[in-house]
Amino acid sequence: MGIFNVENIEIFSLILFFISFFGLITSKNVIKSIIFVMLIQTSVIMFWLKLGIEGNPTPIPPIIYDPVLLENIEYIADPLPQALTLTAIIIGFAVIAIVITMFNTLDRQYGTADWKKLEEAEGN
Amino acid sequence: MTYGLLILWLLSGLAIVFENRTYRLIIYFSIFSLITSVAYFLLGSPDVAMAEAAIAAFSTIFFVICIEKYYSHRENVTQDRIRREPLLRRVGGVLPALLLCIGLFVLVVIHIPEAEAMYYLKYEYLQRFMHEIGGENAVTAIYLGYRVYDTLFEALILVIAVVAVSHMSYFEAIKVAEGTHSEIETSRVAALSLRIICPIILVFGIYLILNGHISAGGGFQGGLALATFFICRYMVYDIYDISVEKVLHWEEMIFLGIIIVTVIAVFLGVGNIIPAAILPFYQGAYLIVMNFLIGLKVACGFFFLFYRYITIERR
Amino acid sequence: MLTFFVIIPILLAVLIFTFSAKTKAIKIIAIVFQSALFAASLYLVGITREADVVTFVGSDDLLGIVLRANSLSAIFVLLTTFIFLAVSIYSYSYRDERDARTFWFLMFLLEASFIGLFLSGDLFNIFVLIEVSTLVTVILTMYDRKNRNIFHGKVFLLTNLVSIQFYLLGLGYIYRITGALDVERVGEVLATLDDRNLLLPYVLIMTSIAFKNTLIPFFSWTPKVRIYPKSPTVVAAVMSGLQAKTSLYLFIRFQEMFAPIAAYEIFLAIGIVTGIFGAVMAICQKDIKMILAYHTISQIGLITVGISLTNGLSHVGGLYHIVSHAMFKTTLFLSAGIISHSYGTSNVYEIRGVMKRMPVIGIATLAAVLGITGAPFFIGSVSKYFISYEVTPLIMAVTVALSFGTIISFIKFSSIFFGHSVLEGSTPKAELCKTIPIAIMGAICFVGGIFGTQLIYFLLRYNVEIQWWSYVQKSLIFLASAGVGYLLYNYVIKGNAALARFGEMNFSFRSICASMGVFMALLLLLMGR
Repeated sequence: MGIFNVENIEIFSLILFFISFFGLITSKNVIKSIIFVMLIQTSVIMFWLKLGIEGNPTPIPPIIYDPVLLENIEYIADPLPQALTLTAIIIGFAVIAIVITMFNTLDRQYGTADWKKLEEAEGN
Repeated sequence: MTYGLLILWLLSGLAIVFENRTYRLIIYFSIFSLITSVAYFLLGSPDVAMAEAAIAAFSTIFFVICIEKYYSHRENVTQDRIRREPLLRRVGGVLPALLLCIGLFVLVVIHIPEAEAMYYLKYEYLQRFMHEIGGENAVTAIYLGYRVYDTLFEALILVIAVVAVSHMSYFEAIKVAEGTHSEIETSRVAALSLRIICPIILVFGIYLILNGHISAGGGFQGGLALATFFICRYMVYDIYDISVEKVLHWEEMIFLGIIIVTVIAVFLGVGNIIPAAILPFYQGAYLIVMNFLIGLKVACGFFFLFYRYITIERR
Repeated sequence: MLTFFVIIPILLAVLIFTFSAKTKAIKIIAIVFQSALFAASLYLVGITREADVVTFVGSDDLLGIVLRANSLSAIFVLLTTFIFLAVSIYSYSYRDERDARTFWFLMFLLEASFIGLFLSGDLFNIFVLIEVSTLVTVILTMYDRKNRNIFHGKVFLLTNLVSIQFYLLGLGYIYRITGALDVERVGEVLATLDDRNLLLPYVLIMTSIAFKNTLIPFFSWTPKVRIYPKSPTVVAAVMSGLQAKTSLYLFIRFQEMFAPIAAYEIFLAIGIVTGIFGAVMAICQKDIKMILAYHTISQIGLITVGISLTNGLSHVGGLYHIVSHAMFKTTLFLSAGIISHSYGTSNVYEIRGVMKRMPVIGIATLAAVLGITGAPFFIGSVSKYFISYEVTPLIMAVTVALSFGTIISFIKFSSIFFGHSVLEGSTPKAELCKTIPIAIMGAICFVGGIFGTQLIYFLLRYNVEIQWWSYVQKSLIFLASAGVGYLLYNYVIKGNAALARFGEMNFSFRSICASMGVFMALLLLLMGR
């Protein structure tokens, strides 16, 4: 199936990783940079979730309401990456909330969301 | 179906790169998050999908509040567009970055490790969690049982975020008088439909919290739903009647409770808080207690953040 | 048992924050608690000499999280508790109207996250703790509302958030190829694998750690350094003395974990470049706190050189330099706080006559300066002696050049000691609680030099000897470079406008991100065969 295979979600998330990295390097606007940081995070999380379903095209959520499910244990998605990404998502959001507040404060001070103008306003 | 979804996912990411209008950026971002959350669901992780959807909704709200203010004190609408430069300079500035990213991508793809682990923890977790922790949701069992130490810090980070947001703000702690109305124009249709949805959201949040150990969801997702309930309530009545300081204080108290439960759990062994032999019915009791505490804490934290943004940050 | 070291500070922090006590009570609680924690960590150092201490959290095997204390991490914990004790005594007499409740809440959390980082044996837990400490750092450095630098704080936070994504991606690959997250287990599995498989995770993780370590040549420094001078004195001391050490500790940890392919030579070169550029930037500054902040980066370069050299004694020297750097840099930042507060300025050209005005602090600061420059009989001379022990002439020359840079920047710094004070009138009464920790740490800078070998044996369990003849040689080199440095400073560097402009060099958020990418690409190209 080549590159467009569900198994290659890894490639997709790497592409998104570098797209958003490109965005981080080139974006001129603070809001855009913040969004790219969130994007880069999402790509890493997608990569982690893919680790949980390695070699398993039709994953079952790891909710064992019936012990019979454990007989086909290889079809169940790995719960560990899911628990870890849950933590990572929440942490990422907490940081983003702080960054948005800092953006707000700077906007109040200087009235601009442009990296270049902000750097000039900071006097360096 | 997954291919199509993933290609759409990439395209919405690319759209953000090429978009120069700030409002549209936010819209594209929420589209991106929606697709992400569906993809997560298809990858067999409903818990993460739920968290992603809720988080995306909240960050969109915060962004919109920010941007709304960002526009309100600018008369010149042309500033809407992010600064543009002559074509040649733009290409000159972008080309090295493009080369760097493509080069890095190629290098990374060449070096992707081929080895696969001989042994995954997955099988151990899936076979043991029901006896050791209880419940039916393996993710919740890991999140609140085996890796409760991480979860403690994660809850801590939300407390820190709440402190930080009030500290980093441009406005020094300004008290908002109770009963204040915001000057946002609300549409009556929206208010009415929110009024109908409100109780459903509340019930859904409570359901997620209390059933987190046997189905998808859990304290975090349920807490976000509860916070959404309060936000909808604010939208409908448009009145500031719950003191933010009090909510902050409750959050601290609940976090204290989480620490105490965690310490007890760590010392007695998570599964042994209520021995299964004595009370088999309470197998998941620990998970329910933890989910409940975390749910309340997250609800308080996000409620605080939202009220802070809507009443103070957007002045 | 190890969980106590992390959970009790958090519990105390939240208790203080929830049941707001009086400011004075909080300060007394802080001092008492820090002393108790210091005693506990001394005990930890004692028991880790026999065997490692391991605590399982959540499960009795690798399903949960493992906390591990070996002799190295015990020393870092000891250092952390010592500096926090000193700092809590120092801030006892603060009279400003800061919200002590929130401040100590954050300080305790910072301590908990540092100790957690040193003890953690789980790779994902390290990620969580890095995030906690970064967030707390950012809030604390901007604690004074009137005197804060939100812009650089935001750049710092965003760049750290980007760099941590590299770590997380590398961690994903590690999980795939080893199936574990526990540091020791991962290390065992990695040792059995083909080198080709380790390359990408190593490069991704090292990009992140090197960024945290301010190692990537001169890009990542600026925001970090720019937020130091405006932060409260106590915070600046903790940041420079300890926060830099957490990332160095992680660096050592990951180099050990990836031992089969660890790129010692590349990091040696990077350490040299970082050291030299840091020293040059320090020379160009005119704010005393800025000199100290840039100097920290130069010293991180030197320590990286030490721990990247594969011969045993240089490694010991590097580790000992971590301890000594924590001592003298904390002393210097604390006394710089007192001095700039007393003179009302922190411009190095305007402060004169510190010795006459506040003799005790002056002498302690002088001891720290002598320690940092590596003067004979002081702590820095011992660690620098071992770093450059039995190395190739090239690296020998490099270490001499590095300490030459240090000497010049501190000749500039030392001009504040002498001369005639512009401020007339009565000298302010020295506050005892501020003087005591500075004096004690200044004394350690001296004692650690005299009893260097004994202290190395106590802390690092290495039996080393100083050969008096080569020590005298090193001392002569020190004296010669001090003389040359004095002349060079007075006739060339002083008042040089070009250098001053160079010192204000700054990098934007975008170029910092780009530097991360360039660093990663170079590392992949250099190491991939």
